[in-house]
Amino acid sequence: MTAVIQATLNGIMMGAMYGLTALGLTLIFGVMKVVNFAHGSLLMVGMFSAYWLIKLTGIHPYLALLIVPPILYFFGYYLQDLVIKPVFRAERQVREPLTVIIVTTGVWYVLDNLALMLFGAEYRTVRTAISNKSFALGSFIVSIPKFSGFVIAVATAVGLALFMRKTKIGMALRATSLDREAANLMGIDQYKVYNIAFGLGTAIAGIAGCVLIPFYYVYPSVGVVFDIRAFIIVVLGGLGSIPGALLGGLVIGLIESVFSQFMASTWTEAIIYAIFLIILFVKPSGFFGNKQDW
Amino acid sequence: MKTQGKGSLLACCLAAALGLYLAASPAGAADKVVKIGNVEPLSGPSASVGVQGKQAREMAVEEINAAGGIKSLGGAKLELVYADSKSDPTVGVTETERLINTEKVNLMTGCWNSAVTYPATQVAERYGIPFVVPVAVRDTITERGFKNVFRVAAKDSWWVRDQFRFLKDMQEETGTKLKTIAFVFENGDWGTGFAEKWRELAKKDGYQIVLDEPYPSTATDLTPVVTKLKSANPDVVMLVSNAADAILLTNTMAEMQVKPKVVLASGGGHADPKFLENTGDTAYGIFDEVEWNTDVNKPGAKETNAKFKKKYGYDLTGESVDAYAAMYVIADALERAGSTDPAKIREALAATNLTSGPAMIVSYDGVEFDKDGQNKNAGIVIVQVAKVDGKPERVTVWPKAARRAGYTPVFPANK
Repeated sequence: MTAVIQATLNGIMMGAMYGLTALGLTLIFGVMKVVNFAHGSLLMVGMFSAYWLIKLTGIHPYLALLIVPPILYFFGYYLQDLVIKPVFRAERQVREPLTVIIVTTGVWYVLDNLALMLFGAEYRTVRTAISNKSFALGSFIVSIPKFSGFVIAVATAVGLALFMRKTKIGMALRATSLDREAANLMGIDQYKVYNIAFGLGTAIAGIAGCVLIPFYYVYPSVGVVFDIRAFIIVVLGGLGSIPGALLGGLVIGLIESVFSQFMASTWTEAIIYAIFLIILFVKPSGFFGNKQDW
Repeated sequence: MKTQGKGSLLACCLAAALGLYLAASPAGAADKVVKIGNVEPLSGPSASVGVQGKQAREMAVEEINAAGGIKSLGGAKLELVYADSKSDPTVGVTETERLINTEKVNLMTGCWNSAVTYPATQVAERYGIPFVVPVAVRDTITERGFKNVFRVAAKDSWWVRDQFRFLKDMQEETGTKLKTIAFVFENGDWGTGFAEKWRELAKKDGYQIVLDEPYPSTATDLTPVVTKLKSANPDVVMLVSNAADAILLTNTMAEMQVKPKVVLASGGGHADPKFLENTGDTAYGIFDEVEWNTDVNKPGAKETNAKFKKKYGYDLTGESVDAYAAMYVIADALERAGSTDPAKIREALAATNLTSGPAMIVSYDGVEFDKDGQNKNAGIVIVQVAKVDGKPERVTVWPKAARRAGYTPVFPANK
């Protein structure tokens, strides 16, 4: 029983962080109707940025949270503006522009291989003030980097949801997401909104990078590992849904952690995919998905 | 004047051509060179080990040639011919065919990947060309009754055998009693293969298996596995891990305060040079099994490693030491064969009993092939990660003869 509770605690913490890695993906999809295949690479860029910042300056990993996400925001903003937008313009008549997806795949390969060229294929971790630290909660052990990761993930999701509801830019994002033509007619600059959405999605990948780096390693194709999970989470929670991403993450985290107490951990992978398939059959729009997205 | 100029130009050309011919001809007179074909993964996923093997061979051959080559062949020089297998069995087979038929090599070596070595040795066997395998651990490579295949390194099953010998020896040496054992391994070919043999030997040695857990190497989180390990609370944890998961497991175990008496890994990810960099002080006390270690207590090992490091910028590894030794095994056989005829070389290789010379920087005591071409003496060393000069370092502890002078293994690593 102790092991199950311990596993549940860990599942919730890891799950929230999986949700965080999926948040940017779901945001970009929600607004742009584009599946961003480069999302994992953006996460990798976030992790490498956090890695180098901490490694070179020795600052506390959570101080990096103030530096890395803004940098990543501009990185995403201009990536969309310079690379993706031109293709988008050419395909503006289509609701779900396929070529844009191919462009994001191209961005994925370019970023991954660029990182490979610059940093090599090896695994890197950085020792931080909180690495491998934990505290006792009764008879359970709670990892400090994972616990703070959980708090930051939830705060990011809540913050993003509030931002989407309460601010003018947030409303513009939602309006474009609902109907880009109508939003355009109301005077919203569609492409500017896309830049912002992509920037925000990338900044969230930067937050995820800062959260993961104190206990995880980074290497050029690290994004792929999280990416597959992020796609499942997004579909599970509902494409474009912010609470959906968090909930989807928690479900995956819990299955992975708790189920493996009763069977070989190799099996949990299969169970995650099986649940993914069942959801696609039973409720293709996911927990919180918008029906019209299907 | 004009004609004369033309004439002298022609003469010049002729003289130059003659000069070139003369310069080229000694190398063309083939009987002074022994050609060794090498199939190695020089690109693709295993490229780094392939290149390590290549550089080790080059250093050995340079030394052999500088010392006068093969004396019984009139000072014949060794010449290495390379082919890239890309870790692909099909490519390995065609390249072996090419080296034998087109390059006319006298003997072959390679191929690091078991999957490539297995069919490539088959090709060489068909042509009757001797094939020296420095590393490639799959048991069956030397279990097919082939006449021309000779393996210098230990085979797969010996790794597991030696892990249990180590546990037994150390328990006797330190008076520790270890009863329960846990297996945690990556779920690929390698991990599951080890686990199968572990189960057998653990039963034989009277251990109680309390956890038998495969995990996917690509896992984002190994806390669930470590949680299981914590509740199973074994005396010994046996591991097979690739690079990333070795780091993650070690760090997560420290975080979850899982402290078994003995953690024994099987090389691979734990032997990766990056492992210690990424784990730091969480790795102290871990035992790991490798073919060779820089501090191995053998004459010449330190000097050879220093020379290699100066030349190529990194330490010798188990793989490269076996490749280095293989060149000396070949030179020794050629010396005794006194011929470049493959059949004669084969006879000489089969009669090898090499116990001295530069090749003996290996961790074991000699090279002597059984009837299937397996080096009977090949063995493995066990190292412990210890704090030396404030830094984590891998220190050889077993077999006792190879143990670093002055080091007392911390066994059990945790009370």
